[in-house]
Amino acid sequence: MTFTVDERGGRRSAVVEARHQSKGTKNNRPPRDSYALFLLPGALAFLVIVVVPFLMNTGVSFTEWQGVGSPKWTGLANYRELMDDAEFWASFRHSLFMVVSMAVVPTVLGLVLAAALFDFVGKHFGSRIAAVLRACFYLPQVLPIAVAGIVWSWILAPENGSLNELLKAVGLGGLQQDWLGDPDLALYSVMGVMVWVQLGFPLVIFMAGLQRVDPQLYEAAELDGAGWWRRFWHVTLPQIRPEIYVVLLWCTIAALKVFGAVYVLTKGGPGGATDVPSYFSFTTFFEKTQVGYGAAISTVLTVIVLLLAVVGLKLQTRAEDAEQGVVR
Amino acid sequence: MLTARRRRRVMAAAAAVVSTTLLLASCGDSDSGSGGDGKTLKLWHYESPDSAMAVAWNAAIKEFEKTHPGVKVKFEEKGFEQIQKTAPMVLNSNDAPDLMEYNKGNATAGHLSQQGLLTDLSAEVTKHGWDKKLSAGVRTTSQYDAKGVMGSGKWFGVPNYAEYTMVFYNKDLFKKYDIAEPKTFDELTAAMDTFVAKGITPLANGGAEYVAHQYLYQLALSKADRAWVDSYQLYKGKPDFHDAAWTYAAETFADWVKKGYIGKRTTSAKAEDAGVSFMRGKSPILFSGSWWFGRFAAENKFDWGTFLWPDSNLTLGSGGNLWVVPKGAKNKELAYDFIDITMSKKIQNLLGNKGGVPVAADPAAITDPRSKGLIANFNTLSERDGLAFYPDWPAPGFYDVLVSETQKLMTGSAKPDAYLDAVKAAYDKGVQDR
Repeated sequence: MTFTVDERGGRRSAVVEARHQSKGTKNNRPPRDSYALFLLPGALAFLVIVVVPFLMNTGVSFTEWQGVGSPKWTGLANYRELMDDAEFWASFRHSLFMVVSMAVVPTVLGLVLAAALFDFVGKHFGSRIAAVLRACFYLPQVLPIAVAGIVWSWILAPENGSLNELLKAVGLGGLQQDWLGDPDLALYSVMGVMVWVQLGFPLVIFMAGLQRVDPQLYEAAELDGAGWWRRFWHVTLPQIRPEIYVVLLWCTIAALKVFGAVYVLTKGGPGGATDVPSYFSFTTFFEKTQVGYGAAISTVLTVIVLLLAVVGLKLQTRAEDAEQGVVR
Repeated sequence: MLTARRRRRVMAAAAAVVSTTLLLASCGDSDSGSGGDGKTLKLWHYESPDSAMAVAWNAAIKEFEKTHPGVKVKFEEKGFEQIQKTAPMVLNSNDAPDLMEYNKGNATAGHLSQQGLLTDLSAEVTKHGWDKKLSAGVRTTSQYDAKGVMGSGKWFGVPNYAEYTMVFYNKDLFKKYDIAEPKTFDELTAAMDTFVAKGITPLANGGAEYVAHQYLYQLALSKADRAWVDSYQLYKGKPDFHDAAWTYAAETFADWVKKGYIGKRTTSAKAEDAGVSFMRGKSPILFSGSWWFGRFAAENKFDWGTFLWPDSNLTLGSGGNLWVVPKGAKNKELAYDFIDITMSKKIQNLLGNKGGVPVAADPAAITDPRSKGLIANFNTLSERDGLAFYPDWPAPGFYDVLVSETQKLMTGSAKPDAYLDAVKAAYDKGVQDR
């Protein structure tokens, strides 16, 4: 049950509210009704581009099919096979590593960097310098992942790769590695690249969030003797909590769907060490032409992403409602 | 103004219409394959513009337009990956070309023929005499039975070049270290030992793509015979993945990595990296296919040569990719005429002189000495029925398995026995799913 708090502090049931609105006469129709028509093109596009293909894909996941010819109905067989598929679970384990590198690390680093750019660089070197640095951090987000991946594969190449050459040049030749070819290192190398790719996104969002924090809060905290770290912890973090929710949710979903970087850098190798669900689904679908099984993998992935999005949005809404005094 | 209820109904109806249309479209039948205007030949291939095949086929397009006044060839350049991934869907739609290049083998052309997406060319093959121009080894990948298995049955494709693997070697580096061209396997091993002793990794390799597992398959072939190949590739019997040939291959390959013949750091290297390593004179030997030949001829800055893998009757190779005519092609007669032109002496000789391996050239017309050697080696292989196809052919998706498992063998995360177990499991599953 939803209650809104009016200015007099009285609570009014949302149901009562809705009834009041639905009693509007023909001539006194609430304006929000007429917005539905404007949503129609978008809703139709969503239906055609997202909903229908997803339902078709789900349908295919209950069949054994090679992409052409007649699909053979097999019910839940693909899903049962998935449950016992070690490669599938390994790819999901790798996904968790991707969540760390694409959501957790960039969010933490992005927070610290955003606060440093906003609070320190902006104040001491001017907002222009801060904006330039912000743009530099954001650049990897603008680069096509295929381009970034190829450049990183040059950097991480075992022979004549920039990183190994750099290590050699500074006398650390013993630390040279086959960054993408060693099964114990490849996943961490890809994670490193993904941190670089992803970092700009939270940084920009957090810097935008920091713009709307009331400077008086910082001034008050400073007068009370709070240092930079305490101001960050007690003022910055609580104030930009909505942005943190959005970034974490967005980046986690991106991490679960990651494909391009793995495709360009390692193709899931060496020996499956960097395989992720989307790439696993792709190879099953297109390389092995096990279309039904590939569809089952992508259906499971989609359901997980949807669940995560719903849970994330609910948590965010609840937190925002708590702040605004809305009780559900 | 619509009432809310009526609006909801309208939206629901619109959604139903859209989704029904989509579903019907997706389930629609493809074109019957007739009704072309006879004025356009829609042609797809994915050879890079400077390759021998592309040069020859561009000449064939000119020849075709000359001999077919008023007919236009609408050529669309495609990518290998693009065709590999989307061919089944494209051929099942109305967008199919009249003629296209497609991969040979059970998992590709065989798979499509089984699904009824390709035109049976048997009558045309006999009519034009193309079968007379192709040797038995080359012909294998053109014919597919009802199950989509190559080697017998109807003709679903026509190759007009062939390909095979060989040892490319850097003559300058061999001379520098006083090593003679190896004539036997022992001499090849001794040559590699010499290079390792000098701090040079002898074999160029790419573990992330086909190069590594082709070394391994060649090692197996050196201990195998035709029956072994037929069992593995044509399902004539059950292959034993722990037999002498496979065991020798896996153990020797792992041993070569340990000895430094193959760089452990090439696990993540691609085929391109292997080729570049040879072209830069970094690795003195590359065992790979004739598809490198034209590029090496154009770009190598050192003296180089080729020889067949020593002490082995069999090597990787087959007829080249196929001209296939999609079932839904609208101008099939034009497609047959174009294939015939690509099989003509003029186009075949051009293909041979540009570094390709023609299937029906006039030997006297090949003037380039290296190309002569390339074609002579192919003829040697053909005469001894030495083409053993490629290791990833038996099942769809087997390529990825071989790449992945061979990488594990290189990094030491899988022992030879475990490697063979994994390959066997994937093979059995893939063949059972066929």
